[in-house]
Amino acid sequence: MAETHTILLVDDEPLILMDLEMAAEDRSLGYLSAPSVERALALIETGDPAIDLAVLDFTLLHGTDCLPIARRLQQLGIPFIVHSGDLDRSEKGLGDLDAVLVQKPAHSDKVIAAALVEMKASGDRPRPLAAS
Amino acid sequence: MKNDSDDPRPTRPAQTYTAFDEPSDRIGVEHAADAFPGSPGMLFKQAMAQTRMSICLTDPHLDDNPIVFANRAFRELTGYEDSELIGRNCRFLQGPKTDPAPVAAMREAIANEDVVIVEMLNYRKDGSTFWNALHLGPIYDEDGKLAYFFGSQWDVTDLRVARAEEQHARMMARELSHRMKNMFAVISGIVNVTGRMRGVQREAAEINDRIQALGRAYETTLDDAASGTIEIGNAIHAILDPYGRKGAPLELRGNGARVPFSVVSIVGLVLHELAANATKYGAWINETGSVTVDWNSPAPDETLVIEWRERGGPPIDPGSIAAGTGSAIVDRILRTASGTIERNWDPKGFEAIVSIPLRG
Repeated sequence: MAETHTILLVDDEPLILMDLEMAAEDRSLGYLSAPSVERALALIETGDPAIDLAVLDFTLLHGTDCLPIARRLQQLGIPFIVHSGDLDRSEKGLGDLDAVLVQKPAHSDKVIAAALVEMKASGDRPRPLAAS
Repeated sequence: MKNDSDDPRPTRPAQTYTAFDEPSDRIGVEHAADAFPGSPGMLFKQAMAQTRMSICLTDPHLDDNPIVFANRAFRELTGYEDSELIGRNCRFLQGPKTDPAPVAAMREAIANEDVVIVEMLNYRKDGSTFWNALHLGPIYDEDGKLAYFFGSQWDVTDLRVARAEEQHARMMARELSHRMKNMFAVISGIVNVTGRMRGVQREAAEINDRIQALGRAYETTLDDAASGTIEIGNAIHAILDPYGRKGAPLELRGNGARVPFSVVSIVGLVLHELAANATKYGAWINETGSVTVDWNSPAPDETLVIEWRERGGPPIDPGSIAAGTGSAIVDRILRTASGTIERNWDPKGFEAIVSIPLRG
């Protein structure tokens, strides 16, 4: 692979995050990790390195969820998948965001693979217009 | 209700009542005895007295629409005697904690001569409260003029408690399910991370497969965890579904069997090993192979029997299958439950019959 992609990993559980990081390494991806909405949004805005794809845990600490991150990524046309143990809540919460859901628990490698599939699929689609 | 020649009653608005026979001397509407043979007046009185449905009538032509009749069930429900009821508007059953919204809905229905069903908190004579599902509607006389309002009261306190408990239980089950999945995800993370750090990724992955099969099996049991038994078919589907998704043909035949919760982990681990073997050596190696799983519906003191049948796979090499760790684990875990596995390397495909006794 000529270019290295950078994946944003968001999960409030450090062990899951670590597992995903290792799985990303195994696939020669660069990664950025965030345990919270604030940290994730900051990493996206910094843009260095630029994020090419993301895995978002739906339910995050202190009653927050990944929706603000998901919306921002969608505005920027960055593909992402949602990794969640609560499909009911995430399906309802995601509403019309139309995101791929991977149910917890799943192999970390399968999660990363699903994100790569989504990135490829989104590359084949025209990019959505930035939200007005 | 049609207004044809056999039916002398005039057409009414939908869902309203026609006047029935007088429940007491207080009620002065004359009525044609059209519906009942014999003595409708007596039938009515007996029915009113015996019914456990609390009923009252109010007269909108009198000042403040007072109660003019209340049956025994009404008196028993509210604790008031006839002398304390008759002549008063029903609002004396309301109290400080009664929600004004259903009261307003009731008032509007009376003004529009509509039928309405509301639930409101009412107060008995002794000050205790009950939830009243109140069904209220107009009653018209022979000429189609408004005669009374009919109210039937039903104490739904227990029902509301049950409803709230059920909702609470559902919420708890959902939260539990979420936490359980997260816990399995964290355990998976620990196993993977440790495996990578120690350079034993393959072993870690194998352990993870087992953990996740168990997680899937347990997940299906949460809904009826309270009943003590679970529908084993749901667990079997959940354990094997991921293999099916890879495009491996799988037919699940059993249906509806309920078994004690305690066999879930055994069934989960055994089926996972059989599926893993089919993927490594058996019917799921190639495109043409398929697996059929069938199970019985045992009584509480009988034996759960699961039949695993592979067809269309590559020729069997028993040597490669028998020695795997998977087989050893299956044998050991079944032994702990006094269960057995009968393996048959049929040339047509591997077969296994797993028996797990269910102790009552």
